Amino acid sequence: MSNLLPPIGHALRPARFGVRFSKLVRQRETGLLLLIVLTCVVVGIKDIHFLSCEVWREILVRCAATAIVACGVMLVVVTGEIDISVGSLMALLAAVMGRMISEHEWDISCWIGIPATLGLGTLIGVFTGCLVSVGRVPSIIVTLGLLTALRGLTTLIMGGQNIDRLPEGLTQLAKQGLCGVPLSILAAVGVIGLTSVLIHHIPLGRRLYALGSSAESARMAGLSAVRLKLFVFGYTGFLTALATIVDVPRLPKIEAGIGSEFELLVITCVVVGGVAISGGHGRLSGVLLAVVLMTMIRPVLTFMDIGEAGEKWTRAIQGMFILLAVVTDSFFLRRQRSSGGEHTA
Amino acid sequence: MNSKSQAGNAFSFSWWHETVIGVLLLVVLLVAGWLVPGFLKPHSQLLLSRHLWEFAILALGMTLVILTGGIDLSVGSTMGLSAVVFGCVQTSTGSLVAASLSCLATGLCCGAVNGGLISQLRLHPLIVTLATFAAYRGIAEGWSQGNSYSRFGTNFSSLARGSWFGVPLPGVVFCVMAIGFAVFLSKTPNGRFLKAIGHNERAAKFSGIAVERIRFWLYATSGLLAGLASLIYVARFDTAKADVGKGFELDVITAVVLGGTSISGGRGNILGTLLGLLLIHETRMLVSRYWRSDELQWIVIGSLLIVAVLAYQLIARKPRS
Amino acid sequence: MTAAEAVIQIRGLSKSYDGVHALSNINLDVAQAEIHAICGENGAGKSTLIKMLSGIVRADTGHITVSGTQLLTGSVQASESAGIAVMHQESAAFPHLNAIENLYVGRELTRCGGLYLNHIAMKSQTERLLQRLGVSVDLSVPVGELPLAQRQMVALARVLSRNCRLLIMDEPTASLSNRESQTLLRIVQQLQVSGVTVLYVSHRLDEVFQIADRVTVLRDGRHVATHRIADVDRQQLICDMVGRSIEEQHRPRAHATDDSAVILDVTQLTRCGVFEDISFHVRAGEILGLTGLVGAGRSEIARAIFGIDEFDEGEVRVSGRKLKGGSVQDAMASGIGMVPEDRQHEGLILPMSVGENLSLAMLRGLTQWGLIRRRAERDLTDAQIRDLSVKAATSRIAAATLSGGNQQKLVLGKWLARKPKVLILDEPTRGVDVGAKSQVHGLIRNLASTGMATLLISSDLPELLALCDRLLVVRNGRIVGELQGRTATQEAVLSLALPDAAGLQLREAQQ
Repeated sequence: MSNLLPPIGHALRPARFGVRFSKLVRQRETGLLLLIVLTCVVVGIKDIHFLSCEVWREILVRCAATAIVACGVMLVVVTGEIDISVGSLMALLAAVMGRMISEHEWDISCWIGIPATLGLGTLIGVFTGCLVSVGRVPSIIVTLGLLTALRGLTTLIMGGQNIDRLPEGLTQLAKQGLCGVPLSILAAVGVIGLTSVLIHHIPLGRRLYALGSSAESARMAGLSAVRLKLFVFGYTGFLTALATIVDVPRLPKIEAGIGSEFELLVITCVVVGGVAISGGHGRLSGVLLAVVLMTMIRPVLTFMDIGEAGEKWTRAIQGMFILLAVVTDSFFLRRQRSSGGEHTA
Repeated sequence: MNSKSQAGNAFSFSWWHETVIGVLLLVVLLVAGWLVPGFLKPHSQLLLSRHLWEFAILALGMTLVILTGGIDLSVGSTMGLSAVVFGCVQTSTGSLVAASLSCLATGLCCGAVNGGLISQLRLHPLIVTLATFAAYRGIAEGWSQGNSYSRFGTNFSSLARGSWFGVPLPGVVFCVMAIGFAVFLSKTPNGRFLKAIGHNERAAKFSGIAVERIRFWLYATSGLLAGLASLIYVARFDTAKADVGKGFELDVITAVVLGGTSISGGRGNILGTLLGLLLIHETRMLVSRYWRSDELQWIVIGSLLIVAVLAYQLIARKPRS
Repeated sequence: MTAAEAVIQIRGLSKSYDGVHALSNINLDVAQAEIHAICGENGAGKSTLIKMLSGIVRADTGHITVSGTQLLTGSVQASESAGIAVMHQESAAFPHLNAIENLYVGRELTRCGGLYLNHIAMKSQTERLLQRLGVSVDLSVPVGELPLAQRQMVALARVLSRNCRLLIMDEPTASLSNRESQTLLRIVQQLQVSGVTVLYVSHRLDEVFQIADRVTVLRDGRHVATHRIADVDRQQLICDMVGRSIEEQHRPRAHATDDSAVILDVTQLTRCGVFEDISFHVRAGEILGLTGLVGAGRSEIARAIFGIDEFDEGEVRVSGRKLKGGSVQDAMASGIGMVPEDRQHEGLILPMSVGENLSLAMLRGLTQWGLIRRRAERDLTDAQIRDLSVKAATSRIAAATLSGGNQQKLVLGKWLARKPKVLILDEPTRGVDVGAKSQVHGLIRNLASTGMATLLISSDLPELLALCDRLLVVRNGRIVGELQGRTATQEAVLSLALPDAAGLQLREAQQ
């Protein structure tokens, strides 16, 4: 779908405005941060309670799962692929994990159940990567198929019933956490750190960007696209499993509908965070801020005290944010083209 | 040269996909006829088909969109918004005609916004429609505030429930449209241009094809069809609310891709989409009638999609040297 | 020099694409630590030779030996491990990555046992390399956003950062200023001192004379001559490049007289940064040539006239009717047709059938009640296939399966079906075999004699001289001279087209 690039004809525009504007745009993080702070100030003035620790703790807990998975999906998008199966995968893993460790079900020890869940997530991720890189099926089709199939598998495993009574220890850990910090936040911090190290300090991370920037040049530089893609999809699978483990025990029960449209929320965060859908470009900080912004919308609407009416507009506002991000992106793209010449043609 | 051998192969396998899907469809039908007595009778087929028509109508537009290398994720949300507009207009004016027209107009506008953003600002269709996917549904939810509108009168619902010589009216509408789309695609210049754009947008532009204009109308059409599907859906259930058409977009894309339309553009036809739709539909019906299991049908359809495209890739394309 | 001294021996190397010889039977020895220049016109086979050495293209026959061991052609890894590195004409390897990252992709410097990136070492080495090149590059900016010259320097640094034994440079100075070029040449000489062998491909003859030890001239995929630089002068080199085998009998007869109607009239056409103040006209029946080096702006001018690109100033008139800028539909409606440069990506839709390609540009004229009349379409395509003698089994096979020459005939046929008043031809015979080439030439002449105005863009000088009534030479986006087809010589064209220094000397020598 990359054949929609603008033709070269639009390369030449007066540069002055463009340069200044794009400098602003290039700092996607500044824009997002500004938006977040501004919202906080406005809502804070209306109700100072919004800025309290409890509220922000709740917001961050809600962010955590999205942030964890977004770290993986961001890398997938950076290599020029896409993954829209994470929501269904999350549901499947939740069902499998629930079945395994719930006291009403098989009641296996957490020490076996949790590693098994992580392993299954990674395995499915690698399988996806295999179909994409070795089978050369477009990633959007593979993950679309998995989105449907895994959702069905989940319902099958759940057998039409909800799963409850997860081990007390795990639910406690998920709700209260270690030393008062919820488990999901700890996991998110760990994953963010790991991903950040991967991107900035490990050769592998650099190579993912290189592959997304130009597959042809990557081949010339001797990089193996198959191995890199196996890695990113495997990593995403692993992170999805991790997000499931730390997030799902918070909920009172596991339902088959868990994680529906989660994939679209994650993709939205990745796009709003400034990752180029065609690959090669994107920063973790932008994605994380986008996660916070997207998760904030609902609590903010609650606090604006316009009643239930406000909350119903959540999605509309999400959509507007994506559009805003995309339109600014297009200006950025044009500017890059004007200095970058025709090399992408 | 690489491109040459690929294209050459693709040519010799030009009807491969349709054949495989057709054979699969036959197998499913035979198995169904054997397992479920009376499954193949025209009467029960028509009865079963009532869930099919909204999908089918959306699939026509989606085929054209994917054929040009694009995608439209917003069709389900457009249906939701159109339904809410229908409900609002109907309750405030009491006129079904005005409501229906505004429902269609809403679909058209939604599609036109997509088309404008994609063709004028040259944004990636995946992202644009992802954004409007959230935005349209969000506007529908915010506007309707979770209310549902219903009781539009039996005259209206009989439009969707009624039949013409045994064929449900939406089915008649669909058949006429399917023929129209097939003719458009294979017999008119614009249909040929769509394929050209999907294969090679640059060369299409050098051939004097108004790529941007065609692309705009394409997404507008897709939106209009979503409006129509929404109208049928509302009439069938006699209820209009914001979650109409939820999740439809992915099912429709699945049907179109399963029917052999290449996600990267250029290849595909209405016949393939019909076969893909029928395959999904019959499989679903078989599974739900025989195993009485909803979940199994998702697994089968998801796997079918991956396996069909994988097989196509492996057979029709030689590995890179 | 004996073969034993040669670090690189090329023997009997041939390559053909779809039956067209890109290289035939090349023999070449390059000595250790030699700067060996390779010259030739556009399409002489230089780039194919480079691709073969760098492993992108496999040789049909013949072999390359590097320091005594035979090189497996068609493998990038094999070429790399043999110590061959290539600096391409316009290389922004990874446009999204910054200079440091670009330098080290795939062979990053690491610490802690290969686990961690060693940012400090990579940064300091990059800085050192760039300092040695005498340029300052913003290391935090993606390479795709750097000015062209800086990108070129990053590409050079990328090559230098790996310890290559043979460095191939393809037009390295094409986008550099004079001062930058001198820096680059100095570095090349330093490399030579440190024992690196350099294959230097350039249009700038000055540079060749400045640094090369020997020079090899290629023409039409064949090896013409190898000279020691001391034994050869500019004139000789240009003679070798253009060849003396011009068929004088093909001198054009004037198709157009001065009182023929002006069909295409271009006035002061400008697109900022690409071309400036382009004015010319083409009369009915006239063939106007537009030439210049690759990148001089020829194709861009054509694209702007045809409406693919927008232009900033000026106007285009066809038979007095002013065109809307940036609208292909308008250009076509007023009777312009264009055979684009890149036939595979712009001219044809390869997976579509021969017939569909032929009728694509005039499909709307073949309709009845909005539907395509199949018979009319078939008649049209069959007629075109017959008239142009396209070798295709049926009109239903994919265009991709045809040979280069036949594909080009398809593109021509596609436009001729519209009976255009003006036909713009951009490199109509590039990569086309000799037989098809002369057919295309014949076709262009015939069309002109029927009164069509033709704008012919080509790098093939003999072709231009054989066909054109007048010739415009473009350099750096400006028209720098007009020559009459009757009296123009290849030397005259080349002296106008070459960049300043080389061209100036040639111009002086001629006076």
